[in-house]
Amino acid sequence: MTKKSKIGGLWYEAWLRFKRNKLALVGLIMAISIIVIAIFAPLIVPYDPFEQLIWKEGKEARLAPPSLKHLMGTDIYGRDILSRIIYGARISLQIGIFASIVSLIIGVPLGAMAGYIGGVVDDLISWLINVVFAFPFLLFVLAVIAVFQSPSLRIVYIAIGLVNWVGIARVVRAQFMSLRDREFVEAAKALGLPRRKIIFKHILPNAIAPVIVQATLGMGGIIMTEAGLAFLGFGAQPPTPSWGLMISEGQKYLSIGKWWWAIFPGLAIMYTVLAFNFLGDGLRDALDVRLKR
Amino acid sequence: MFSYIVRKLLYAVPVIWGVVTIVFILMAIVPGDPARLMMGQRGDPETLARIRADLGLDLPIHKQYVRFLKDLVKGDLGISYRNNEKVVDALLTRFKATLKLAFWAMVLASVLGILAGIVSAVKQYSIFDYSAMFIAISGISAPVFWVGLLLLLIFAYTLHLIPGVGYVPGDWRYYVLPVITLGVRPAALIARLTRSCMLEVLTQDYIRTARAKGLHERIVVMRHALKNALIPVVTIVGTQVAELLSGAVLTETIFAWPGVGRLAVEALIARDFPMIRGTVIFMAIIFLVANLIVDISYGFIDPRIRYD
Amino acid sequence: MRKLFGLFLVLAVCLPMVFGVHQAMSQEPKYGGVLRWREVSDPPKLDPAMSTDTTSSRNVYLMFDMLVENDPDGKSIVPRLAESWEAGHDGKSWTFHLRKGVKFHKEALGKPTENGGREVKAQDWKYSFERLIKINSPRAYFIDMVKGYQDFVDGKADEWVGIKVVDDYTLQFELDYPFSPFLSVLAYNTFVVVPKEDAEKWGKEFNFHPVGTGAFILERWDHDQRLVYKKNPDYWKKDKEGRQLPYLDSVEILIIPDNTIAYEEFKKGNIDVLPAPPDEYYEEIKATYSHMLQERPELGTYYYGFNNSKPPFKDNLKLRQAFNYAVDREAINELVIHGRYYPAKGVLPPGMPGYNPDLKGYEYNPEKAKQLLAESGYPDGITVDFNVNNDPRHTLISEAIQAQLKDLGININIKVLDWGVHLDLCERGETEMFRMGWVADYADPDNFLYVLLHSSNHGSRGNYSFYSNPKVDELLATARVETDWDERMKLYQEAEQMIVDDAPWLFLFHYTTSLLAQERLKNVHLPAFGDYSTPLDTVWIEE
Repeated sequence: MTKKSKIGGLWYEAWLRFKRNKLALVGLIMAISIIVIAIFAPLIVPYDPFEQLIWKEGKEARLAPPSLKHLMGTDIYGRDILSRIIYGARISLQIGIFASIVSLIIGVPLGAMAGYIGGVVDDLISWLINVVFAFPFLLFVLAVIAVFQSPSLRIVYIAIGLVNWVGIARVVRAQFMSLRDREFVEAAKALGLPRRKIIFKHILPNAIAPVIVQATLGMGGIIMTEAGLAFLGFGAQPPTPSWGLMISEGQKYLSIGKWWWAIFPGLAIMYTVLAFNFLGDGLRDALDVRLKR
Repeated sequence: MFSYIVRKLLYAVPVIWGVVTIVFILMAIVPGDPARLMMGQRGDPETLARIRADLGLDLPIHKQYVRFLKDLVKGDLGISYRNNEKVVDALLTRFKATLKLAFWAMVLASVLGILAGIVSAVKQYSIFDYSAMFIAISGISAPVFWVGLLLLLIFAYTLHLIPGVGYVPGDWRYYVLPVITLGVRPAALIARLTRSCMLEVLTQDYIRTARAKGLHERIVVMRHALKNALIPVVTIVGTQVAELLSGAVLTETIFAWPGVGRLAVEALIARDFPMIRGTVIFMAIIFLVANLIVDISYGFIDPRIRYD
Repeated sequence: MRKLFGLFLVLAVCLPMVFGVHQAMSQEPKYGGVLRWREVSDPPKLDPAMSTDTTSSRNVYLMFDMLVENDPDGKSIVPRLAESWEAGHDGKSWTFHLRKGVKFHKEALGKPTENGGREVKAQDWKYSFERLIKINSPRAYFIDMVKGYQDFVDGKADEWVGIKVVDDYTLQFELDYPFSPFLSVLAYNTFVVVPKEDAEKWGKEFNFHPVGTGAFILERWDHDQRLVYKKNPDYWKKDKEGRQLPYLDSVEILIIPDNTIAYEEFKKGNIDVLPAPPDEYYEEIKATYSHMLQERPELGTYYYGFNNSKPPFKDNLKLRQAFNYAVDREAINELVIHGRYYPAKGVLPPGMPGYNPDLKGYEYNPEKAKQLLAESGYPDGITVDFNVNNDPRHTLISEAIQAQLKDLGININIKVLDWGVHLDLCERGETEMFRMGWVADYADPDNFLYVLLHSSNHGSRGNYSFYSNPKVDELLATARVETDWDERMKLYQEAEQMIVDDAPWLFLFHYTTSLLAQERLKNVHLPAFGDYSTPLDTVWIEE
């Protein structure tokens, strides 16, 4: 059996296992639903998420409770909350994906070098990982954001990525360390294959699985981090319909019983994070067992 | 064992130095002059220069760094720019508040989590199992600050069982919501982990052997499975404690809890450099110490692990 | 006999009425009681030399006294620790006659003070002023026109020569130039008298052990919980009938971060004064508790500045005016801020001397705005970066304005920054449009117009919009040294109209200040400077 088909076969087996896991399938469907909502947002929204209705409709449109007209109510400017939540999916996914990419760009090479080369390089990189880990996460991100004087969505996900890469790096490092001593790598070395080829063609495909799991599970964490940042006022800028920002803007009105502005976005966050958690769990169960062989 | 601890401690030193240096560099490149902020909105360049000199901010950056390290080694974390309080004093006071919160949150989380995990494992695939695990994964997926707001909405603003947010030492009502808020996530993680560890162990051979011997099922479960499930659970408890202690920033913000996390954010906004550096270093140390304790307790729980 | 009886009857009926009316008219203040005042956070600085925020100022006013103070309407200066004063003919010297028998606090935080409760003399004032420079008070430079300031600052002189102790009760200031607002500046809460012995003993920790001459003595400070003050039995002030002040036994400043709790506690009667009642409850308060609510315009202005030193706003009057016509201030105030601000036409707030109710400003006129926009070179609209600091109310207003401007094709990119970065960018002129507020330090138009709009104050000195108009500069400079009051006001009004015509800002609102006070409190008068300066030494509680 050639190496390619062996790997191909293993992936296929993982997929079968994944299918059998009910929760994983639910997660997949939920994740797809969010992506679809994000992509087709302009077509689905009942109202313009940025239109402030109070200037036309006056006080009645302000902080209106959920009704048939506005399924999730309106905020203080009379903007329809459901429409903003739908658009908010775009923001969350955008941040999740780009911050993940930044994390991967930094984390994978560093983890690989640490795991494969070992020695001083490993010591240095591991030290760096431990330092970043020990640093209080939210503060670190806040400080990085403050350094960039011009806040924007891009700054937010770069800042998150700059701190979040350590999780990926650790996983990659562990994988490379365990894989570099395996038989097929010894075989490749014995054949005299160049180092780069060994890393990219042989180790990396095997190391990818836990990275995928980590990245998927990480999406949830990133989305929650952005929400937390927006809540503190340092995430997406108004009038962007970031879910975290909506919770922050709406919290003032909880005490007078106008709960919809702050509560619905939280449900949206929960739904999204659940999706990626189910997905990630499912992927882990499906792929992990595969690796143990 | 002793040498293991010493090695771990020694290894922590360069990590702390790394943290110290990074926070120093960050504060050096962050825009916003603390002296300027101290002056309020109206600024006079001359007074500003004098205040900066007084704070040592006009020294070249490497000199400031050396001075800072020298003080640090002596245990002097400096004085807050905002109110001249000694950073060490402020940290200890605020840490007490954070500690109280974290302690009760972990107690709640551990008790709830372990119980739920055990029952779920024993009654696998039952309704309890599914609902508990669903609640658990929801708990991990819900943003912590939103959970806090939701609890406030229900118990404070609607049912009026809790007066509101704040910190009144001795009045348990102010503790309830922040403790629950902070404890939800660790409880969920502990429940899930306990469950999966228990499940793993419950299928081990020696359990089957013990059952064959006719021992009462409960004793079987308790003694053998639990002990083995404890290892990873201790890990989680340890890392969660580390997370909680090093700054439950969002929870503290919502509940106006005067803890270390909130102190750090306030200090960052005010560019109170000594306070920022102090809180970051403090939190990093707590984190490392907590992790070290977790590592050590491995040895006591799992006799299979050897330290050399 | 009948006549006598009739007279007796009349007297018997009338006299009690007369007495009754007299009684009702001059209710006797009662001594005793505790006044509980809410604050949102712990005061960072109780050292008057260093306090720059309103929470700290609230506490400073309780414990310390200035030479002079503002009357509650902010319209004139009245004596405090100085009984009377004269200005020299050239306006360059001021002589103050100090009140006799003013004593420093004998104890603080439960322990006796170093000064032992001795009398305040002119020498103490000189010490207090010099101390400001020695410890780098951020407000010392307000009086940098007092002779010898620079030399003393630079260490070239070992005393501040412009401050003269003529005798124990006479203090004289010599200025480098005639500075008309000088008296108003001295009413600022930095310029109080502190006892040398205690200030030297505590050094930087004076912050935590403040000792002054005021109506209340700090007894206990539980950080983040409360500050407890007790009455100063040796307080110098007496009421109109010669009775010793203060009437209250004690004042407690309660630190309650949560608005809901504060409001609930107020309703239950556990808090006596709730300053700045929160927005969420405002409508309920107006409906149910309006008799306990005091509101008035505060000496403050809220504006969006344009950066006049860079495109697109530089030299583009029509563009700036377009913005001013494009915003419906009334509607925003009504719908978003619950009516708690005053739409503004210009710079000076109502209550400030020199405020011109007939000022020609910009009304909401979207057609005119569109037209001006086109004429300014942007017929298809324009995109501008807008900086605002991270505060819920500011971002709330900015989103509303963003929506209004969008209707006309003006897109503003809101950038929410933390305060440090925001201030930094504004001072360095790295903004296009920014939000700023300004609250009076002293009740003189100089504090607004000169600081914010004179070309010598570009950048960190206060003119963040980098506005420069030589004619305006001249008017303001002349007004600064002019000694005739009416003449000064005329100059300021002329300058303000010119400024409004130039539209260096998007003029928005003036602040209001408000507080809720329980009915049983008497003599609580909200001053124009803000709730934090409400005097408590004449307040009494009727049980």
